Amino acid sequence: MESERVPLKARNVSFSWEDTPLHWVPGDPFTTHTINVLHLLLPAGERWFVHVYKQALPLIEDERLRADVIGFIGQEAVHSQSHDEVLPHLREQGLDPTPYTAQVDWFFEKLLGDRTLPPGRARRWWLLERVALIAAIEHYTAFLGDWVLGAAELDRRGADPTMLDLLRWHGAEEVEHRSVAFDLFQHLDGSYRRRARTWATAFTALVFLWQRGVRFFMENDPTLTAPKYSVKDFHDRGRQGVLPSTGAMLRSIPRYLGRGYHPSHEFSTAQAVAYLEASPAALAAERAEPSAREAA
Amino acid sequence: MPMLRTVAVVAGAALLTRRALRRRVRTSPLWPLPALDPPVSGRPRARALRLLLTAHETIADGVVRLRLEGDGLPRWTPGAHLDLVLPSGLVRQYSLCGDPGDTSSYTIAARLVEDGRGGSREVHEQLTEGMELEVRGPRNRFPLAEAQSYVFVAGGIGITPVLPMLRALPAHAEWRLLYCGRTRASMPFLAELGELAGDRLTVVAEDEEGRPDLDALFADVTAGTAVYCCGPGGLMDAVAERMPEGAALHLERFAPGAPADGDAAFEVELRRTGRTVAVPAGTSVLAAVRRELPDLAYSCEQGFCGTCQQRVLAGEVEHRDELLTDAERADSMLICVSRARGGRLVLDL
Repeated sequence: MESERVPLKARNVSFSWEDTPLHWVPGDPFTTHTINVLHLLLPAGERWFVHVYKQALPLIEDERLRADVIGFIGQEAVHSQSHDEVLPHLREQGLDPTPYTAQVDWFFEKLLGDRTLPPGRARRWWLLERVALIAAIEHYTAFLGDWVLGAAELDRRGADPTMLDLLRWHGAEEVEHRSVAFDLFQHLDGSYRRRARTWATAFTALVFLWQRGVRFFMENDPTLTAPKYSVKDFHDRGRQGVLPSTGAMLRSIPRYLGRGYHPSHEFSTAQAVAYLEASPAALAAERAEPSAREAA
Repeated sequence: MPMLRTVAVVAGAALLTRRALRRRVRTSPLWPLPALDPPVSGRPRARALRLLLTAHETIADGVVRLRLEGDGLPRWTPGAHLDLVLPSGLVRQYSLCGDPGDTSSYTIAARLVEDGRGGSREVHEQLTEGMELEVRGPRNRFPLAEAQSYVFVAGGIGITPVLPMLRALPAHAEWRLLYCGRTRASMPFLAELGELAGDRLTVVAEDEEGRPDLDALFADVTAGTAVYCCGPGGLMDAVAERMPEGAALHLERFAPGAPADGDAAFEVELRRTGRTVAVPAGTSVLAAVRRELPDLAYSCEQGFCGTCQQRVLAGEVEHRDELLTDAERADSMLICVSRARGGRLVLDL
């Protein structure tokens, strides 16, 4: 049980990708690409969070929650920008992600975008539906964030330090703000049926998009001639500790669907805050901050 | 034939309605449709380059020239500048003064400002050859336009954006340059300018001849002349006063991020809300606007997350963020850090 509150603020991080190899988990393209799918989904996805939350902001009546949502928006905006910056690097190495990201863009901008709805009940319904979807997705981003913070096996395999720093800085901020999306959903609606329904949608969509992304990367990787991979590969990597284990993922499902669920009961804020205090990117952002203030 | 008549009347009415509506549609404020919200995804941040500092040499009293090398650097046009990220995290703008066609290196020059905010001191004292520096850009806010003739006025280190312009002008172009500074020893590029300009160059050093005679310079400036001025604020104000009608004045301030006179107060009109708010010195547009519109979305308040981007309908903006592209800067701003350059801004809020 952890319930300490951390004031949320965006950190102005930057990464340089010149020295990151295409297979940044050495000798393991499947793991590399499974994690790389994040760079395809997150830029559009997190920008969509920001887009939806900007619309939800006027509906919030609790000042503390509003401050949290404002911090959340900034963190998500910087996450989205940071993952977007990996894509040109992939392109330079012969793996152009544009065909897939175009589909993801359609998914978030059109399918989940602002529909032409009459103001009033219909518009509010669609907004609440999306706020609930975000709460369900944030359960998984916090799950993944907590996992990557503790994934020591990746270090042992010699994974690229810059990429690990991006993933862990992002993961730590996801753990840090894991309660915001759920609190906002509870504040605006909180209906259990909606929570269950949107969880099913979000989980299905995530599994669908993720496996599609892995297939896209594996099929189009210029260095792989006859890529072979299956669900068993995922399961095996999970047991080795370079990807989240299947068991842990299955166990996370009943947690979110439990009536008494609250994100603050899951995961460890201390681990996340400790990482943020040591992350090279977060430290550089911290150092640069006073100057940004001076220039402003 | 009542049937035929009915058809004719209906067709005529339909034609008239169509014409009437077309005119209404064209004059309606709802047409063309207002710009849609920006797309949810697809805007990468301005890409940073990491360049190697290969030369750091003193070329005049208090002026160093830096050469930054990299591969396949973006091309630039005369007047462009770079954002240089110093090791301490400070970001400063410097005009490019090398060869625009060179894609393997950038050259900039920086003057030491004794009582500045620390950026130039760091450039002079902390940077050494062999360091890797992050730069953003290049961007051009001082582009060279077509004109019948040109007059350039440079004060001190303000010569840096002008130098590539002179090299880029066609041989038959008619131009003059007034270059002023405190002492000849403190003015960089004098020898090079002498070769390039010949008798089109007037050098005025304050310790020898005092203030430059701007009236003489402007005596024969006519309409159709483009005047480019880069230098201290006083010099630029003096040039602006003497501008004849029909001539175009282009100014480049030394520190786009920080005017010497600090933040000025201005007004922001919220066009959709129909209200005007005053933005006092030392207060951000965001803070002032939030008093009227408390639900406005924002987050980092430092100009990097992009949440508070708003459309600008009128007024000149002094952009102080590090996120927006030039195309975005043309019609929008981050209201948490950027301010008005004139006395008034109109926002689509």
